[in-house]
Amino acid sequence: MTMKLQTPRGVKDFLPEETRWKLELENKLRQVFGQWAYEEVVTPTFELYDTLNLGDGTSDEMYRFLGRNGELLALRSEITTQIVRMVATRFQADPKPLRLSYHANVFRHDDVQVGFQREFYQAGVELIGSDTPAADGEAIALAIRSIQAVGVQDFRVDIGQVQYFHGLMSECQCPQISDQVRQALLHQDYVGLKQIIQQADLDRETKNLLLKLPSLRGGDEVLKKAYAATKNKVAQAAVDNIRDIYRLLEAHGVADAVQIDFGMVKSLEYYTGMVMEGYTPNLGFSLGGGGRYNSLSARFGTNIPAVGFALGLERLMLVLERQGLKPAPAKQSYLVLPKNWVKALAYASKQRANGYQVEVDVQGLSFNEGLRYAQAKQIAWIATVGDDEPQIVAVCAENGE
Amino acid sequence: MLSIAVSKGRLLDSFIEILEKSQYPCAVLQEETRKLVVESPQAGLRFILAKPADVPTYVEYGAADLGVVGKDTLAESQKNVAELVDLKYGRCTMIVAVPEALGIKDVAQLDFNSRVASKYPHIATEFFHNRGIQVEVIPLHGSIELGPLIGLSEAIVDITETGRTLVENGLMIIDEIMESTSRLVANRVSLKVKRTEINRLVQAIEGVL
Repeated sequence: MTMKLQTPRGVKDFLPEETRWKLELENKLRQVFGQWAYEEVVTPTFELYDTLNLGDGTSDEMYRFLGRNGELLALRSEITTQIVRMVATRFQADPKPLRLSYHANVFRHDDVQVGFQREFYQAGVELIGSDTPAADGEAIALAIRSIQAVGVQDFRVDIGQVQYFHGLMSECQCPQISDQVRQALLHQDYVGLKQIIQQADLDRETKNLLLKLPSLRGGDEVLKKAYAATKNKVAQAAVDNIRDIYRLLEAHGVADAVQIDFGMVKSLEYYTGMVMEGYTPNLGFSLGGGGRYNSLSARFGTNIPAVGFALGLERLMLVLERQGLKPAPAKQSYLVLPKNWVKALAYASKQRANGYQVEVDVQGLSFNEGLRYAQAKQIAWIATVGDDEPQIVAVCAENGE
Repeated sequence: MLSIAVSKGRLLDSFIEILEKSQYPCAVLQEETRKLVVESPQAGLRFILAKPADVPTYVEYGAADLGVVGKDTLAESQKNVAELVDLKYGRCTMIVAVPEALGIKDVAQLDFNSRVASKYPHIATEFFHNRGIQVEVIPLHGSIELGPLIGLSEAIVDITETGRTLVENGLMIIDEIMESTSRLVANRVSLKVKRTEINRLVQAIEGVL
């Protein structure tokens, strides 16, 4: 049999340096999530397809396969659905709200696109059991604090409200047109939007407003504009909701990083209120996003409002690299060359306890061989340990002194 | 500074005309040069000269903030970009055509052995799929009219302006899939980050169209 050295499209190895970096980022996020009292959970990598299919993931993008008993299974394509399933079955009686977080790999059988892998890592939180602007505000503020914690510079989080669009479109009697308008806005096809709106049975005011939607974006001055632009009660309530949230973001001290965008349209079957998306000029696509999804739990037979967000780990890493913020491989490490094994191993244990990385030579290297090895592996010091005191030599990459 | 991916050729002249009318001077684009990136500091624009089919890719990745590309190429690329302005030039129609001799008047008459040659395999596949017609789509890179002439395919999906080349090759249009014109497209993040600059350009262009 010939060796297969290829991996399938859309998956990748994390080599030691990348893995170390990824763990470092995850730990920074873990720390922030923890400080905000979000408890980490772990969900199964695969579940019944019918369960996962209740969520936001589209059925095409899920990896599906048959279990031994013929049941249809699927790899998770996002985590939120699993957490809602978990809450519906295990946390019904618990005091609400619940604050849960996760770090997990997810799988999407999509065409490999820009910044997309078929397996990739997400870090996210869900705040479950509260339907207040304060809960939305907390989710947004935590998203911002999380992106700050990993060190990304110059980023923004856009917030919108799907009910604004929903309210405007409720005036439109034709569901087909309503769907076409939503698709056009979702795909930012503003040329198509114009064509569709011309045929729509809407008053001129609403038509103009729909065309203007993409420009309803900015700081809190947008709130007034968006409110004045419509008489629809649902849309006005959506503006009031964003105003309440925005005031709380000011109190959180994060409003500088927030832009209000009433043109942001996301899946209406899934999101029911505030939506958010983070981005930076260094990346042509978003860092992550989320929003309020009050109706998802109904698909699991309960009625629990919830809000959450997820960040893409690989995307954060890509941005940090582009911003020149990838950490240098700074290793505080020893190579121990044992001449006296008892003393050498005792010395290695002592330095490990002191917090250093210590590798003990198992090849019987001479000092010069050890030096070349240490240089290649960017090890900081060589300790030759014989019967006497350990001889420590600092490794210098250039001249080996 | 905004970067715009454009493709060289006849259609570029139409875009230059629009820009000049919109008070965005871009004489640099008319100079004979082999440079792939040229700048017009007065206009605040950097032009990236790309193959038409690559324009949506540059824009999707954010390597260019904006791009100018035909709706046909854009639809075929299936890229995730924002479509801002219909530039109204480069008008053509995407059609299904068969040899007149075949005596077919409707795509539904194509039987399940039919092969369709096209430079737009995604669009062609989706069109026939939506109609519930089973055909084999053969991707080609040019001279699609050759397909039926040499017996490679029964039908073609291609763009046409006047239909003359089709007639000259004994082909007859039996259906129209879409109208296409050149479009100004934008990267989705640039649209947020460089909103003011992009809006200014869009308004200027819409003012002269």
